[in-house]
Amino acid sequence: MSERNRLRSIGTLVRINGIVPIRTQPFYLVSIIAQPLSFLFFIWIVSRGADLAYGLMGGMVLTMLSVGTGLQSDLTHYRHDMKFQDVVIASPVEAPIYIAGMALSELVYSLPALAVFVALFVYYGYATVSSVAILTGVLLLVWSFGSAFAFTLSTYFQDIRETWAFSPIFSLVLTVLPPVYYPISYLPAWAQIAARFSPTTYAAELVQGAVGLQPLTPTTAEIDWIVLVAFAAALFLIAAFKARWRDP
Amino acid sequence: MSSAIRTEHLSKIYPGSASRTPALADLTLDVPAGRVFGVIGRNGAGKTTFVRIAATQLELTSGRAEVLGYDVMTQARDVRVRIACVPQESRPLYFLNVEEVVYLYLKLRGLDHAEARRRTTEALDELSLTEYRRRPVQRLSGGLRRRTLCAMVLASDADVLFLDEPTTGLDPIARRQVWDAIRRATKEQRTILLTTHYLDEAEALSARLALFERGRLALSGTPEDLRARVRYPFRVTIQGAYSAEELTSYGRLTPIEGGALVFAREPEARELARRALERGQRVSMGPVTLEDIFLEVVGRAIDEETPPAEAEA
Ligand SMILES: Nc1ncnc2c1ncn2[C@@H]1O[C@H](COP(=O)(O)OP(=O)(O)O)[C@@H](O)[C@H]1O
Ligand SMILES: [Mg+2]
Repeated sequence: MSERNRLRSIGTLVRINGIVPIRTQPFYLVSIIAQPLSFLFFIWIVSRGADLAYGLMGGMVLTMLSVGTGLQSDLTHYRHDMKFQDVVIASPVEAPIYIAGMALSELVYSLPALAVFVALFVYYGYATVSSVAILTGVLLLVWSFGSAFAFTLSTYFQDIRETWAFSPIFSLVLTVLPPVYYPISYLPAWAQIAARFSPTTYAAELVQGAVGLQPLTPTTAEIDWIVLVAFAAALFLIAAFKARWRDP
Repeated sequence: MSSAIRTEHLSKIYPGSASRTPALADLTLDVPAGRVFGVIGRNGAGKTTFVRIAATQLELTSGRAEVLGYDVMTQARDVRVRIACVPQESRPLYFLNVEEVVYLYLKLRGLDHAEARRRTTEALDELSLTEYRRRPVQRLSGGLRRRTLCAMVLASDADVLFLDEPTTGLDPIARRQVWDAIRRATKEQRTILLTTHYLDEAEALSARLALFERGRLALSGTPEDLRARVRYPFRVTIQGAYSAEELTSYGRLTPIEGGALVFAREPEARELARRALERGQRVSMGPVTLEDIFLEVVGRAIDEETPPAEAEA
């Protein structure tokens, strides 16, 4: 396929999985916005407004991760119940194009939630050139490795219901246990060590540092970036070599 | 005639299949370009396995498979730009309407807007789907859904189309509609690989046929070739009383409701028919059907399930 055709394929996937379904069922948007916003609301109430910024930063990270969870169940559904992946394999569309298009299409569902977060972010005066740049970089990384991981998993699941079993586990391991919604210093020493195994810890450290919620030394920031990029690279490699595009 | 699909000693053993029974065993087959090629066989005969290997959706275990001269394992990319497939039991994405299914599929394959529009309109018209074009797939009957999927691949620019049991589960009228769609599509010089376990369908649509049985190629050729391969290429049905001894001398006798069915070679068949007519009996004579051939080659009817234990053979 030429570059131009690749872009056309990606655009078409966004339309197929992102735009048309929302047109026919707008409640998709409400459901996807509900979880991060209800966390934000909860934190705002419990901390009497003090920790709203944590809720905001955590909410954005969680929203990008939820793209991965949504993607994984959509891909599994399309593969098994519609045989859509087989239709795509037997066409000029290559695997990376399919994943890119589907990952972008899931992003469409997150736009309303992100819009709310961004509005609050600007309203509370967190937006500076460097905070916006850091936030954008971190969120893009989270979105891309979440999508790569989602694709790999989807090619191993035999049934959509398996994905329902796994999604809460992932969101627990990736967003509730790691210090996405609070500073890592709140955690007891052993949990701080455990949290270091989750990529979201590094993402959260960066975004919390970017808006001045937590002090962040240049060295720590550098390490955080390196770890995040390494996670993303590892998950891309796993997707490239272990995901099943053609069945064995 | 060049070949569209060619396999040599193709075998497939699914990973983790306990008995290591091959789903395809030593299959050497040539599908000529530009026609409908029908693959027939009972459930579990290996039809889908064959289609999925050729359509680059499934890895092979040993042997080779080529599509339009490109190896499905090492040159998958070259194969993929030239094929289109309606997998067995596939369903169009339910939130799209009929037109979107076809149009967006073409865009996905990289066609530009104008070309995709033109082909969509044409295909919907060819398959008599124009009146349903704005209807959501969710609200279509099974027959219309299949027709929509056929329209989708027929509208594409692919040279080789795979249709895996496109009519299974449809009522007779819906089946005919899909047949018409396939027939019209064959006016162009493209290859359609069709699998089915309906023998009438295979015969009605295919220029050539292959009969799979337990992962092996039992027979292949034009319908005439297949007839020529059986011992008795003619069937004579006689209504009324008969002498088993006499009829057996002409060929193979099968008693049927109210009379007899005799499989015979042409001269004996003619002779038998003439005699019976002289006696004033009702007679019909004709070439054997695919059903008859299937029974003779496989030893049982196509809709008989293989008992699991026997399938191990
Ligand atoms: N994914 C799979 N894993 C293991 N065995 C399979 C799988 N798919 C099919 N088989 C087996 O391979 C054989 C051929 O199946 P298939 O190609 O689907 O036949 P058909 O399409 O003619 O009904 C059957 O015995 C079937 O049970
Ligand atoms: Mg099958």
